[in-house]
Parts: sequence; structure tokens; C-alpha cells
Amino acid sequence: MDSRLERFTVPERVTHWLVAICYVYAGLSGLALWSRAMWWLAPVMGGGENLRGWHPIAGVIFALLLAMQFRRWAAQMKLDADDRKWLAMSGRYAMHDEHGVPESGRFNAGQKMLFWLQSTSAIVLFATGAVLWFPEVMPRGLRLISILVHPLAAVASMGGIIVHIYMTTVVVQGALHAMTRGYVTEGWAKSHHAKWFRQVTRQ
Amino acid sequence: MQTVAKLIDTTLCIGCKACEVACQQWNDQEYTLGVFQNTYQTMPDLAPNFWNLIKFNEAEINGAQSWLMAKYQCMHCADAGCIKACPSPGAIVQLGNGIVDFNRDNCIGCGYCITGCPFDVPRLSPKTKKVYKCSLCSDRVAVGLEPACIKTCPTSCLTFGSRTDLKFLAEKRAEELKADGFTQAGVYDGPGVGGTNVIYVLKHADQPETYGLPKDPHIPWTVSLWKGPLKWLGNAVFLGGILTAVLHFVKFGPKEEHHRG
Ligand code: HEM
Ligand code: SF4
Ligand code: SF4
Repeated sequence: MDSRLERFTVPERVTHWLVAICYVYAGLSGLALWSRAMWWLAPVMGGGENLRGWHPIAGVIFALLLAMQFRRWAAQMKLDADDRKWLAMSGRYAMHDEHGVPESGRFNAGQKMLFWLQSTSAIVLFATGAVLWFPEVMPRGLRLISILVHPLAAVASMGGIIVHIYMTTVVVQGALHAMTRGYVTEGWAKSHHAKWFRQVTRQ
Repeated sequence: MQTVAKLIDTTLCIGCKACEVACQQWNDQEYTLGVFQNTYQTMPDLAPNFWNLIKFNEAEINGAQSWLMAKYQCMHCADAGCIKACPSPGAIVQLGNGIVDFNRDNCIGCGYCITGCPFDVPRLSPKTKKVYKCSLCSDRVAVGLEPACIKTCPTSCLTFGSRTDLKFLAEKRAEELKADGFTQAGVYDGPGVGGTNVIYVLKHADQPETYGLPKDPHIPWTVSLWKGPLKWLGNAVFLGGILTAVLHFVKFGPKEEHHRG
């Protein structure tokens, strides 16, 4: 067996994919409401009436699972000096010219930013979504704010997710495999997360 | 098709509630027991099964105790906030004659219309999970009848007809009232929402709030921002994001594994 490193444990992977499933349902059902040009998604998501009922439920499950993920990863997601330098040079990283770009730990600074973006937007989505859920009992002022802020948070969140999906399925070959099967090759680790590679191979 | 309207001359309302009953009867509404609130008002508010309410407003105006009865229902706005907010195509339709009608088959019960409406009119039924409000008896109007409330009104408080005619009548009535000494009399028809097809004549048009009507009704700014600029921003993010990804892939492709040091 050529040198494999465990990248994501089973609980990490299970949580990630459950989050993803709920997110995709909440996101696509939300998009159906977002624009009449996207209304064709409504029958795909179970029909307008069901979608209205299920979207908030998927959203709440998403938020709970994300809270678990937050507890597990928050400590590892703190930005250090290298990360800040990485962010400043992220243009180079994007163009695959990584000379001078600091090496990354288990998560690179881009992934860390995504983590904080998703955690923040999830809190906002949860709070405003709860208001939109019960229009007949929620105060009008709160509803007027939520109707604007909920989709605003969704735009921020989905903007991040577009980048996330593109990076992990297309740009960084092997990243998807790490989240499905859980392991990566040493070469992959050295190349993309050198600091992490040294950490886990040192012991 | 000409725009139809309902004129409510509040100075002629005697508070008999016949219009409430006619509305209940024509629309075949389930009976709900009234509540006693120490006033003559029987029902506290509009409800999914109660679309036409006479508000018995008591107010002190210029030191005098006044009883300002006002009929309260959907205003059938030209620029309707409920339609602007609704995500489900065909759930709210604006007919050629200006009536704003809910089509419950297409309603998904999200309640966005409740938030979009400047007059706080639509009511969500917990039972059917659909919204309800006055239809200006679109079914009666379609066959040349006047709405049930208007048919039944024993004074000439309520009139039905073409909007242009009624606006003219309303202005004339306001002038009469002014001549009678009600210097603040005027017409209330929501210019901020492009004009409502329910037109009021008020003795105290300078303070519509005392009648339970919003001062300067307009579609809430957060709703306009949500359905305007936020849509452009969002679409720019979604489409821009996908386009950028495609262009990035074409120009740079995937990352190669590389080994440093
Ligand atoms: C966290 C818990 C969440 C709750 C409680 C929630 C609740 C709601 C509710 C009640 C609505 C109104 C329509 C309906 O009932 O179906 C709504 C709309 C929407 N939600 Fe959520 N949601 C949540 C999470 C999310 C997530 C994760 C996304 C995707 C990123 C999302 C995106 C949207 C969008 C785009 C809309 C439509 C906005 C518009 O009409 O412009 N929501 N949400
Ligand atoms: S009063 Fe409210 S429900 Fe009636 S047409 Fe205007 S916005 Fe729609
Ligand atoms: S509750 Fe029904 S009518 Fe009101 S906005 Fe939602 S789908 Fe449209």
C-alpha cells in the first residue's frame, strides 16, 4: 500500500455530507423562491407547498449539523500569520504560481475563510429563517428585515459554496476523494498542506 | 377594460355591519364567535374567514370626541406589494379591471404577501396553509354584479363603479365637506402605491391613522430592495461565480502536485 494519510475521520466525513445534502435541498428550494426564472425548481423539490414546509426543516437540520462541525473544527480554523500572508497572495495561489505563498496546515487560509463565512451566514440564515417561518406570529418589523437579510445571507453563502465546489472537485484533484474515502497520498499532502504533512508524519 | 373601484364615504357609515355579514354570506365563510372589547366592534381583526371589517375608531380630534367608523379590507393597489413579494407565479393575479385576486391553487403559503402588503391585509390560515383576503367579489363583478358589501349597504356610504368616475365623485364630496366646515376633509387613495381601487372620503384626511389607515402607504423599502438591487447582486454573484470558474478552468486548469524542498 503506497503511503496513505488519513485526512478526514468517519465522523468528519459523515457530518460533512449530511450538511451538504441539507444545504443542497435548502439552497435549491430557496432558489425556486428567489426568482421566477428558477421556479422550475419547485416541482423538482417536491412542489411549491411541500417546498415551503420542507425548506425550513432542511435549514434547521443543516444549522444543527453545522454547529457540530463548528465545535469540531473551530479551533483548527484560527488564522495565523502565515494564513494572513497566504490570503494576501491568494491571487498567485489561484494562478498556480505558489512561489513565496506560505505553506498550509491542515486547512489552508481559503478553506478557513470559507469555514467562517459559512458559520456566520448559517447563524444569520437560522435567525432570519425562523422569522420567515411563522409570518402570522412574527412582528412585522422583524419580517421586513428578515425578508431582505435571509436571501442576502444566502447569496453570500452560495457565493462561497460555488468557489468551494469548484476548488474541491476541479482544481485540487484528490480533495473530493479525501472527503469521500478519507485518505490522501503523501505526495498530495506534501503538495497542498505541507505543514500538516510534516505534523502528521513527525510522530 | 376599465378599472373598477369601491368608494367608501366614511362620513355616511352608520356602523351597521351589514357589509360584514354580506361578505361572510356571499363568500360562504365559516362563522366565528365575536368578542366583546368594550366597543361596538364585534370582530377584533381581519381573519382568513373574515375579509371585511368595520373599525369603530374612537378618537379625540380638536378636543371633540369623534367616532370614526372605517371599513377595512384589501385596497386593490395598482402597485400591489403582495404581488411584488409573491414567489409563486399565478398565486396573486391582477385582473384587467384592477382587482387583485388570490388564486389559492397556486399559493404555497409562504406568507411573503403579508409582509409585502402596506395595509396588512392578507391572512394565513393555519388550517389550509393558504392566504385569504377580499377579492372585491371578482366572481360577481365578472358577471356584471356589484360586490356584496356594496349591494347591501343601506346608506350611500359604499359605491361601486369606474375608478375615474368614483375619484371624481370623491373629490366632489370632499369639497362639500370642506364647505360644511370640515376644512381637513379629503380623499384617501394611496398615491404611494400607484393608487388604490378602494377610495376613501375622510373628514380628517390629514390624519388617516385615526381611521386605522397608514399615513403614506407605499411598498416597504426592504421589500423593494429585496426584489430589486438584491436580485441583481445575487444573480451577479451566482452567474459571475460560475462564469469565473469556467474561465479559470480554461485558462489555468487544475493544480498539479508539486514538491518543494
Ligand atoms: C437555517 C435554517 C433556515 C431556515 C429556518 C430557513 C427558513 C426559510 C423560510 C421560512 C423561507 C421562506 C419560504 C419558505 O418557507 O420556504 C426561506 C426562504 C429562503 N431561504 Fe431559507 N432557511 C434556512 C436556511 C437556508 C439556507 C441554508 C439557504 C441556502 C443557502 C437558504 C436560502 C433561502 C432562500 C434563497 C430563500 C428565498 C428567499 C427569497 O425569496 O428571495 N435558507 N428560508
Ligand atoms: S391592500 Fe395589500 S393585499 Fe390588497 S392589493 Fe394592496 S398589497 Fe395586495
Ligand atoms: S402566501 Fe401564497 S399568495 Fe402569499 S406570497 Fe406566498 S404564495 Fe403568494
